[in-house]
Amino acid sequence: MADAVQNGHGPRAQLLAAAKPFTAEEESALREALKRCSAATLEAAIQFRKSHDVAQVPVVVIGVIERFVEPSLRPKLKEADDELRLVEDLGIDSLTMMEIVILVEDVLQMQINNDELRNLRTVGDVKTFIDCKVRGLPQPKPTKFMPVEQIVAVMPIQPPFLFLNEASINGHGAQGKYKISGQEFFLQGHFKDNPVMPASMMLEALGQLAVLSLIEGLVPSEDSRQIDPKTIFFTSCEGVRCHRMCKPGEVLTLAIKPKRAKMPLATFEGSIRVGQEKAVIAEELTLTFGYAESAAAPETTSSDAAEEPKRSASPVPPTPLAAAMNA
Amino acid sequence: MPKVFITGLGFITSIGNDVASVARSLRELRHGMELYPPFQKPEIPVKVAAPVKGFQTDSTDSEDWTYPEKYTVKRELLRGMGPNTLYAYCAMLQAVEDAKLGEADVSNDLTGLYASSGGSPFLMGHMLNRMHNQGVMRCSPLGIVASIAGTVNFNLVAHFKIKGASTGFSSACASSAHGVGFACDEIMLGRQKRMFVVGAEDGNVDSILPFAGMRALSLQADPEIASRPFDVGRDGFVGTGGATVVVLESEDEVARRGVKPYCEVAGWGQASDGHNVAISHPEGTGLRKAVERALTSSRISPEEVGYVNAHATSTQIGDISEAKAIRAVFGPSLSRPLVSSTKALTGHGLSLAGAMETGFCALGLRDGFVPGSAHIRNLDPACADLNIPLTTQEKKVDVVMNNSSGFGGANVCLVLKRVG
Repeated sequence: MADAVQNGHGPRAQLLAAAKPFTAEEESALREALKRCSAATLEAAIQFRKSHDVAQVPVVVIGVIERFVEPSLRPKLKEADDELRLVEDLGIDSLTMMEIVILVEDVLQMQINNDELRNLRTVGDVKTFIDCKVRGLPQPKPTKFMPVEQIVAVMPIQPPFLFLNEASINGHGAQGKYKISGQEFFLQGHFKDNPVMPASMMLEALGQLAVLSLIEGLVPSEDSRQIDPKTIFFTSCEGVRCHRMCKPGEVLTLAIKPKRAKMPLATFEGSIRVGQEKAVIAEELTLTFGYAESAAAPETTSSDAAEEPKRSASPVPPTPLAAAMNA
Repeated sequence: MPKVFITGLGFITSIGNDVASVARSLRELRHGMELYPPFQKPEIPVKVAAPVKGFQTDSTDSEDWTYPEKYTVKRELLRGMGPNTLYAYCAMLQAVEDAKLGEADVSNDLTGLYASSGGSPFLMGHMLNRMHNQGVMRCSPLGIVASIAGTVNFNLVAHFKIKGASTGFSSACASSAHGVGFACDEIMLGRQKRMFVVGAEDGNVDSILPFAGMRALSLQADPEIASRPFDVGRDGFVGTGGATVVVLESEDEVARRGVKPYCEVAGWGQASDGHNVAISHPEGTGLRKAVERALTSSRISPEEVGYVNAHATSTQIGDISEAKAIRAVFGPSLSRPLVSSTKALTGHGLSLAGAMETGFCALGLRDGFVPGSAHIRNLDPACADLNIPLTTQEKKVDVVMNNSSGFGGANVCLVLKRVG
């Protein structure tokens, strides 16, 4: 056992472990370890241990997470929403996260280090992380969480016209939250004695999230050049459907995913939910953007900015948008 | 200095899991001993224990545990608990209700909590085994919190959102008596207006059987006589577990809330034997000094004491040295106070004992009875001059003393006074 722990690093060790036959004792230990998980979880874990079939990994991971979530919150996991947040939506604190990690390590016979956990905020992050780990692939760029202070610091749009309270951005897209406070100036007239968030403002909020994701490098720049926030503008929006009215006190959950980009246009798909209810769908939302003139001269920029082109230029991981741009 | 009163109690014990059933057991001298199933093996010479009833905590996986239906404990709480903390949590809920405390009364910076427990050797052992067998990083994340000696205060302070003073006491069998004493000081010094004092122990194989090594446990196989303090045939103590919570409040709080207290805590004292790491001083010198200090701090003379709840655990040496201490304190008035050991009924609760027996004394003071010293068939001649009642006395006494002694020769005496 001590040997397995010492040699458990890296994909090669994992493959070697998988090559060993799965004994009856190991199966009974697995059954004991997963006794509070669903039958499907146990089945997937046995499959994985027998055949190293990586397709089973998400089932095991979700099954283990489910076991540690309060029963009242478990239905959320059934919706297969990768954007579900571990702490805020599922009530998983850092200690519960450790319990999940220990059980996943046990079941999938892998080793996870503390520093690898720091950037896992959503169910999707966890799935991707474990999947990359099992396949021996490099980890994607971690999700970057931005509180409102950081958003205000980088955005060309400012209060009272900023409709983002927080955002998180990873290689696949961006998520944001906005709570309709009721103090928004336009609610005074929209409508008379009946404040309702205007559909145009909901699209504005989605557009702002797309602007933020451009600034944060969701679109890899050409020739290590940086997008100039002052050059980003709205151009078009297609396939917009509103499903429900949104009122003061409600929290809008905004999500955008890049569809394609070619300088000077970047197109996203977007959606807004309130809780689990669909509120707005925008099939296509397109922004125009340009590059900063001075970005080619790193010595004149701040250390943060100098870091940015390097990160953008790194070949891994390929985001869907990067793939679209290279196509 | 402000007076301090006991306004609430909570019990999970071998003789009852609430105030009413504990009071009944004390009055009717019903004991909590049994032939403890985990001890019924040929290689274990100890047969009797006094486990708590209505709980099943034998599994190392706390999610397997069962407990009375009226309690619900979330998984996120359970995972940081040993059996002792589960008992303490249930006793705490009772005590809060018994004292008629609202959420704001429990959680504020003038309300604190002192707890005592030997930790959970059972879970500690499990965790260390897991660490050695499965690797350092596979220890349960809350294994430490659930098993070290502070587990009861860690858990209760967090779950009940205690904002005032909190700590744990570790003087073995005197621990929770120290807790009551220092909690009393907190209120008398005006630092706190309310204190919860908790004593709790697992009372299972791993917390009891290690005492067999020092030959401290009774090897009696008859639960009716295994624990018989002051009897000439006594042969060691019987282990027990559970939890007791005692609520102490200042007289201002008692007046403000308009509650009727069980009794007053008039004062306390402590002193040490400075003699042996595990054996009490043969002359009971430390206990004698502790009792004298308790009486002085309470401004009470020996003649006023009506009942002594003895520490007497049913060991040969301990019971005699306590008898000597009592004799030395009371001198010519020795025949006056009734002396009994409720450990004949409960067994010895170790860190739980002091708080549990303080609770028993409070019940006796409120209800007007003195529990008899059960299971004595042949009183040890060395204790013959003590006024040891074999049956429960229906009697309103005014002042009660509760003695506790722990390893290292730590001795505590608490003085309680009847109210109204």
